[in-house]
Amino acid sequence: MSARTASPKRSRVIDDKSLSLEHHRSLWQDAARRFRQNWLAVGGLVIVIAFLVLALIGPHIAPYDFLEQNIVKAFQGPSAEHFLGTDDLGRDVFSRMLHGARTAALVAFLSTSISLIIGILVGAWSGIHGGRTDEFLMWISDLIQAMPGLLLVILINTTLRRPIINWFDTLYENTKNPFFLNTLWLDYVLVFSALALIAWPGLARLVRGQVLSINEEDFVLAARALGASQWHIMLRHVIPNALGPLVVAVTASMGGAVTMEAGLSFLGIGVQPPNASWGSILEEGRRYWQIFPHLILIPAVTIGIIQVAFVFLGDGLNDALDPRRSN
Amino acid sequence: MASFLLIRLLRWSAGLLLILFVTYAMMYYGAGDPIRMMFIQGEDFDSEDEVVMLALRKKYGLDEPFLVQFGNYLNNLLQGDWGRSIRLEVDRPVLEIVQFRLPISMQLGFAATVIGAVSGIALGIVAALYHNRWLDRFIVSTVLFVNGIPSFVILPVLLLLLVLQLKLIDVPYGWNGLFHIDAALPVAVISIGILPIVVRQTRSAMLEVKSQLYVRTARAKGMPESRIILRHMLRPVLTPVVTTLGLIMIGLVNGSLFVEYILSIPGFGLLTIEGIKKVDYPIIMAVAVVGTLIIFVSNFLVDIIYPILDPRVRAQ
Repeated sequence: MSARTASPKRSRVIDDKSLSLEHHRSLWQDAARRFRQNWLAVGGLVIVIAFLVLALIGPHIAPYDFLEQNIVKAFQGPSAEHFLGTDDLGRDVFSRMLHGARTAALVAFLSTSISLIIGILVGAWSGIHGGRTDEFLMWISDLIQAMPGLLLVILINTTLRRPIINWFDTLYENTKNPFFLNTLWLDYVLVFSALALIAWPGLARLVRGQVLSINEEDFVLAARALGASQWHIMLRHVIPNALGPLVVAVTASMGGAVTMEAGLSFLGIGVQPPNASWGSILEEGRRYWQIFPHLILIPAVTIGIIQVAFVFLGDGLNDALDPRRSN
Repeated sequence: MASFLLIRLLRWSAGLLLILFVTYAMMYYGAGDPIRMMFIQGEDFDSEDEVVMLALRKKYGLDEPFLVQFGNYLNNLLQGDWGRSIRLEVDRPVLEIVQFRLPISMQLGFAATVIGAVSGIALGIVAALYHNRWLDRFIVSTVLFVNGIPSFVILPVLLLLLVLQLKLIDVPYGWNGLFHIDAALPVAVISIGILPIVVRQTRSAMLEVKSQLYVRTARAKGMPESRIILRHMLRPVLTPVVTTLGLIMIGLVNGSLFVEYILSIPGFGLLTIEGIKKVDYPIIMAVAVVGTLIIFVSNFLVDIIYPILDPRVRAQ
């Protein structure tokens, strides 16, 4: 780690342990120790990892195809044959939930990666160059942050749907590649690009703030005196120092993306049936909720658990990675 | 001070214009010809319809260049002509629809804000008074827990619990006025959405105030604790809560979208979803206008109110 964070300047309790080199802990070891003490955060981490693993291997362990219908077996409760029962078309709910986990994880991962890239680029540009461009970019990010994200995502998703469909159609006409006829894939593209478009401002502000504060530091002055380029300073000093807050922000952003995706699909705007998303499973189950409550209970509880896991994980990371809290 | 407010006002108005412009441009270039879509999704479509389509396009002013259309739209907007719904409630003036729908959401939102703010401030103060004791930890982790769960999960689960299991209420459906029993559940769920914001802000403000010297002085001169809280701590705690108004409004918009959709309450949130699903452009534009306006006005209000409440800000 760089010089700034490696030596906390808090008044130290002088005892033999903290003075001996063997017991010296780095920032990250310190953070890991603090994190382990927070059992809610550890629980959150376990659930989030389980969610990601299931999303990755889900279709291989799913007992049925998530689209396989069997009307004779519609509306079954949980049984040995169908672990979580079946829905109105006799599809296996467990298999659909596993596929929904894949949808959620894919959307969260892609939208967060895109917004992270945009955020770092915009934030770095703003922080380094300042001036009019900086003012303009920060004005835009203020606007996006002030608006309700869901409303923006709905607007972006709706207005982008038709041009992207048209674009895919022309691509198909030109290439005859059946990939471009696949509307399932199109839903994903729409949802994660809309989510990325609203998520970058927070990350950009974070990076910009880091650039501005780090540029004041003496070791950056020294680096610059030695002839280091702005990008070298960016990569070697700014990003490593911003890593802690970025990890926290990325966790929150992924959790937010999972909720948003589920919410959009629940409203029938995101991932469309028959493709499985937790949101659309919840919405489909809602039609029969008074007779077959398990059809909404399963997706609702799953979304709830994953959300709470992300929130506790983010909160724990925040506490663990904030050096000002170390004691 | 006045110049500060003027700059803020300019920033927010420019923002409003930008958002309207982008939405309008995306609709114009992106979504395709609304009149054609109207016909394609109708049952019968043949060459004769081309004439009708031309006439309709002329009627709605859709045959003009983009910037002219946008200028016309803004001009009409300011004069109270928000266009007519194309597909949702065919030919009904959009302003009329908004005037019918918005008050319903505003009543829900107002009730939810009052309940969420009062209980949130109370919980935040209690948490800070019992700082790092079990009550504080309980409140903080409950709030964190609730904060994570979206309203489209809370509401169905509450429905299962209250209607199916406990049989306490009937299924709330539609809108029968704010004081009807059916309004209780939506108000509760929306207020749960904004509660965490208020609790967190109150708690951290309270913790800061607690260690102030004037509080210690008050305690040292023997003032009873309840009086210290009411006389000395409440005001500096309440002022920062006002700054969360912007966040609260976001919570309200999000909450009303899902809650109104699930319970079929004909408010602004349901209008948004219906308009979007039916690709009704004048409605979608109206949603963008009103949504942005609500958010920007509340942010601007904070800019105005905060210096009035907090003399320290005024001095800067």
